Amino acid sequence: MTVLDEIEAAIPALRRYAVALLRDRTAADDLVQDCLERALARRAGWRGEGSVRGWMFRILVNLHHDGQRQRPKGVQLTLVSEDMAEFSRPGAQEGHMALREVQAAIARLPEDQRKALLLVALEGMSLAEAAAVLGLAEGTLASRLGRARASLRAATGRKTEKAARPRDEGTVQP
Amino acid sequence: MTERQPLSELELILLRHGTGPAAPPVPDATASATLAEWDRQDAALAALYGPIAAEPLPATMRAALDHAVRAEAAPRDAWPPRARIAAALALVALGAAGGWGAAQLPSAGSATQTAAVYAAIRAHQTFVGEVTHPVEVKADQAEHLTRWLSKRLGHQINAPDFAAFGFVLIGGRILPADPGTAAVFMYENATGQRITLYAAPGDGSNTTAFRFVEAEATQGFWWVDGSLRYAVVGEVPREALRALATAAWEQLT
Repeated sequence: MTVLDEIEAAIPALRRYAVALLRDRTAADDLVQDCLERALARRAGWRGEGSVRGWMFRILVNLHHDGQRQRPKGVQLTLVSEDMAEFSRPGAQEGHMALREVQAAIARLPEDQRKALLLVALEGMSLAEAAAVLGLAEGTLASRLGRARASLRAATGRKTEKAARPRDEGTVQP
Repeated sequence: MTERQPLSELELILLRHGTGPAAPPVPDATASATLAEWDRQDAALAALYGPIAAEPLPATMRAALDHAVRAEAAPRDAWPPRARIAAALALVALGAAGGWGAAQLPSAGSATQTAAVYAAIRAHQTFVGEVTHPVEVKADQAEHLTRWLSKRLGHQINAPDFAAFGFVLIGGRILPADPGTAAVFMYENATGQRITLYAAPGDGSNTTAFRFVEAEATQGFWWVDGSLRYAVVGEVPREALRALATAAWEQLT
């Protein structure tokens, strides 16, 4: 596979991650487009350290970070099409989480935790890969991940843990 | 036991997502429940967002990739546009610093000038390979061409004569510029080589000396003279281009 092929192969995952991160399909595709163009422009200088996929995720995360600095946080509400919500029909087998709840819980996570959780839980990256993407020590990432998992469990979970509503207010106001 | 809970979660995370020890510890009942919970979390995320990865790529991404593929096939376009911009700007900076003759320091209007020289290079690169429509108005309608371009440029302009260098006028066109509208003349020599003369309204800055700019094989000399900015651009050797630019400068001002 050429670098160009690998760049193309990484795009679906980048889109998936960006939509989950931003919860806005247009903003997500804009971000991925910028990421793609930057990767294409810089591919000659890429020296093959790590995977192309990891390199592109790093670009995407950095672009997103730059974008956050440039503009104040806008009101971005969760936008996932109706057909996805259908997964959460009542009567789904036990143990199957209500997707709407998960979605809402993810939206409430602090962004640092959301970024970390999605890389590992959605994209299937190892701690080492995700830490490289985010520029974090593995230990820092692991504890961030632990907090995100715990918040998610508290928000979606058992009756016994209903009391433990997420205390840390997320970045998104409903 | 509750005090051990955070540590145990961390261990579980290392167990699940880390490279892991050779012999992973056997999870106790609580840990097993936590891991099962995480499985459900992952499954929910996959159900929510997985379908996005199966969608076809948006047209804009497809286009960017296709452009890159074509550029790799054609050596002259080996650099994607943004890299070319960067290269052009870097070389403009170099040219400004090491320019020949009485090159002045970039004035306050240099950003506009830089944009203009980049526009000139882009105009040249866009039309140099055109077989059927390199120009909008051909040179055989010389009077109409001069009148039209002068009117749109807002300034009287006559195409310089480069016959002494073997280049004859093919014709011209207008292009959007910032500010105003640019007039573009294209010339060709007997071997089919083409050069572009680009003229656009200025930003009110003073006259400058010639500056040299280079983007890949494309080179240019540009200067500002009163109300207009000019550039002569082509894939010809630098000295030949300088002679052409000098001739243009003499005839235009």
